[in-house]
Amino acid sequence: MVDKNINPTEEAASADQKGTLSRRQFLTGFGLLGGGLALGGLVGGAFLLPDQVVAIQASDGYLLVDTKKCAGCTSCMMACSLTHHGETNMSLSRIQITQDPFGKFPDDISIAQCRQCPYPSCVEACPTGAMHVDKATGVRTVDADKCVGCERCVNACPFTPSRTLWNFEEKHSQKCDLCKDTPFWDEDGGPDGKRACEEVCSMGAIKFTKELPVQSEDGYEADLRTGTVWDTLGFDGAPKSGGHLG
Amino acid sequence: MASGNGYSGKILKVDLTTGKFETILTEKYKSWGGGHGIGSALFFDLCEDKTIKGTDPGNVVTIMASPLSGTLAPSVAGRCEVQGIGIQAYPIGWFTRSNFGGRFSTQLKFAGWDGIVLMGKSPKQVWLNIINGEVKLQDATDLWGLNTRETQEEIWASVEPSKKDNDWTNLGQSRDSGRTTQRPAVLTTGPNAERFGPMAALIHDAGNGAGQGGFGGVFASKNLKAVSVLGTGGVAIADPKALMAARLWSNSYSFAGHHDDPAEYVGLTSFGSTPGKPLAPMQDTPEGVKSRPQGCVGCIRSCRGRTDTGQGNESQCVDFFWYDAHDVKAHGKITDAAPRATDAIQLSGVNAFAVEAATLWLEQLYNKGILGKGKAIDSNLPFDKFGSGEWAEAFINCIITQTDIGKELCKGVAQAALAWGRLEIDTTSGILPLQEWGLPQHYDARTEVEWGYGSLMGERDINEHDFNWHVYWTPTIAGLFGVEPAVSAQRLAEIFAKKMIPYNDPMAINYSDEGIYSESMAKTVAWHRHYTRFYKQAMGFCDWGWADFVNPYGPEHEGMTSVGENKFINAVIGGNMTFAEGMEVGRRIWNLDRAIWILQGRHRDIEKFTEYNYTTGAQPGMTTYEAPYTMPVFENNEWSYKSVAGRILDRQKSEDWKTLFFKVEGWDVKSGWPTRETLEKLDLANVADALEKAGKLGASA
Repeated sequence: MVDKNINPTEEAASADQKGTLSRRQFLTGFGLLGGGLALGGLVGGAFLLPDQVVAIQASDGYLLVDTKKCAGCTSCMMACSLTHHGETNMSLSRIQITQDPFGKFPDDISIAQCRQCPYPSCVEACPTGAMHVDKATGVRTVDADKCVGCERCVNACPFTPSRTLWNFEEKHSQKCDLCKDTPFWDEDGGPDGKRACEEVCSMGAIKFTKELPVQSEDGYEADLRTGTVWDTLGFDGAPKSGGHLG
Repeated sequence: MASGNGYSGKILKVDLTTGKFETILTEKYKSWGGGHGIGSALFFDLCEDKTIKGTDPGNVVTIMASPLSGTLAPSVAGRCEVQGIGIQAYPIGWFTRSNFGGRFSTQLKFAGWDGIVLMGKSPKQVWLNIINGEVKLQDATDLWGLNTRETQEEIWASVEPSKKDNDWTNLGQSRDSGRTTQRPAVLTTGPNAERFGPMAALIHDAGNGAGQGGFGGVFASKNLKAVSVLGTGGVAIADPKALMAARLWSNSYSFAGHHDDPAEYVGLTSFGSTPGKPLAPMQDTPEGVKSRPQGCVGCIRSCRGRTDTGQGNESQCVDFFWYDAHDVKAHGKITDAAPRATDAIQLSGVNAFAVEAATLWLEQLYNKGILGKGKAIDSNLPFDKFGSGEWAEAFINCIITQTDIGKELCKGVAQAALAWGRLEIDTTSGILPLQEWGLPQHYDARTEVEWGYGSLMGERDINEHDFNWHVYWTPTIAGLFGVEPAVSAQRLAEIFAKKMIPYNDPMAINYSDEGIYSESMAKTVAWHRHYTRFYKQAMGFCDWGWADFVNPYGPEHEGMTSVGENKFINAVIGGNMTFAEGMEVGRRIWNLDRAIWILQGRHRDIEKFTEYNYTTGAQPGMTTYEAPYTMPVFENNEWSYKSVAGRILDRQKSEDWKTLFFKVEGWDVKSGWPTRETLEKLDLANVADALEKAGKLGASA
């Protein structure tokens, strides 16, 4: 496993034959334009910013997760693999729930979903263009036919666990495509359709948004509880005892 | 790569005596469904002498997943069934079952196995390590005295020594040998469980326990500390689109589909409940403790929780209730005593029901001056601190260290009562409510008879809430709140009659003084035994989700049962099994279990409740459920809800009811033994042969 730490000063492949840009170049351009820049909406996967910096087309949507709502049932993982592969298989799931049964709330559960990064290291790392930005939706996804199995995309993902995963059964990399390609589901997916993990989550801990979320090192800053029925369910305190049941 | 629809295709047979492994093809046993059905069939085939004790090396223990394990079937995927000859019941340790949730059965399926069969006895202390198709018995000398958490953490580190935080772990040398972010799923005993076997449970993760039967002691008797499993495969689904559609359909029957308009329903339901409530550990954590709901794999109810103290994680129901009332009585509110008591049993691997009954009984003995320092039953336990966490921990510790009164209680509650000369007197007065087979009363056989009869005709406290939510708790709670139940007694009877295929008896839930002895109640108990044997214990439908009779989100309050179960089964395994066909598989499994008990010595003459059920009405403080016990009755040609609390059973009428029940089942009414005709109709001619050989085949009418 290679070191995933990314040196922000490192020059990535020049902006280049693949039409992308280095992390430093992108950050520079992003800073010039401000955090509120709307990155989406262009066809072609990239566009020119001032100073001749090339930015990558933004995803048309993102998955927000609220780890404090997650019940750890891992249904999202099974729904992901079911709709994409026709089997329930957590190792093939593009969203990963990890948990420590003995841990303390809220640190007992972690949800790892693809953030559809504005600057996708996985796309940049791919030598064949298999990992690419879908022109129609901006979704970062894989053309499995072009994947040569080098796993650079897997190792390039800056997060732990890597949101790009190696499909060791079919021998190619894969990642969240916002359910754009779900051959085993009778619903249209993608940013304008439905997402299996979101639909199946009984807690409402996963929510799709078209707005670029505010991020921290720990992930998107999502609170899907406040202002909902969750406020009344008592998880922030001790509800009155209901007696001896069961 | 996932194999056949729903099934992994193979069962792991472990000969602990020789250390050798074999593979049994699941195909041979598929007609039994999975879980309990396959477990019973394997036991029948592989246990040569079914009259042995549970600690005999010849005992065969099965740990079975279901074809629905590891799938999106809601509140199904995480259950796992354990069977074998138990050591908890008295005076006979029946062939019995227990069941636990979490993620063990899912990992078992992902590793490529439908179940595990444990045979023999290891010459040394071992644990079983399963990583996909690789199976090893490993030395457990250093694990033997550890508690359940310590054991699991040691095994996690051993199985995945290179694992970092939540990162992917490659399982093997090749990059294509499989990767996972998940921890191994471990099922373990507490410390030195062979020394308190009848009280010993199997524990998985923080709060999943197979408590009944004393299987922790059975494991230890085989020199087996734990089983760990980790898999990177999948479960093939016959119709993935249908499964996904069914799962989303089920959301409409639960909180999952009603975040914006959750039901306001007075009483208890299965899927209608909000997550983690109303029967959640959060109810019983000290004030200010924060938590999340937590569910087993694939659950849409998520009835348990994890807390910001880590106390009581994943525990539920009796895990807390064995001590919370004592905490409240001592302190006026829930303190940390209740969660400390909960963690004490989970970490020690002690059965909660056994210690719940024992605690209520011991308190009474102490109050009567029979138990205590220098008393007839000498004890130095700090009874002046009864209700505190200190007392609870000291009590559990005395059992697992066989000190103080634990010297006798480690052998079981009934066995301790026998040793102290209290068994007959205290089960007659009822201060020791061991309802049947020496096992603690859970729900009252005198009032909620489907629970009592089911336990008596079986071999353990059934612990099946299918009827219980609706015929007891909801009308009782509504009465306590002074409101009419949302579903009238007449409508309730209609819903149950509609869904209880094939009997569809309109008097199925008549709990009147006459109704409890009726043929209708015989059919109700038969239906319940068949339903739970197949749908819950073979296919894994969780007791806290299914059966879904009454649902506040359903049309006219009708839940998913009789429609929902087979949506999921057929989507996963293919075919078009009807609900009635599943019920017949349940009848077949039930008859096989019955035959095994008969080979162990079962006869209708010994199928009697403990004496207090015939002589004494329920008394507050003897068990934990002395509420008004309001139930549906049909009297004077109309349905109503009525309190039947305090009722006692009529001895002769109970015997007459057994006769009706045996007729419904097609068994010999004189003995309660199945007949050849009945068994052959169920394709169990070999079982009839075995009974005949033993001289225990029922005579045809």
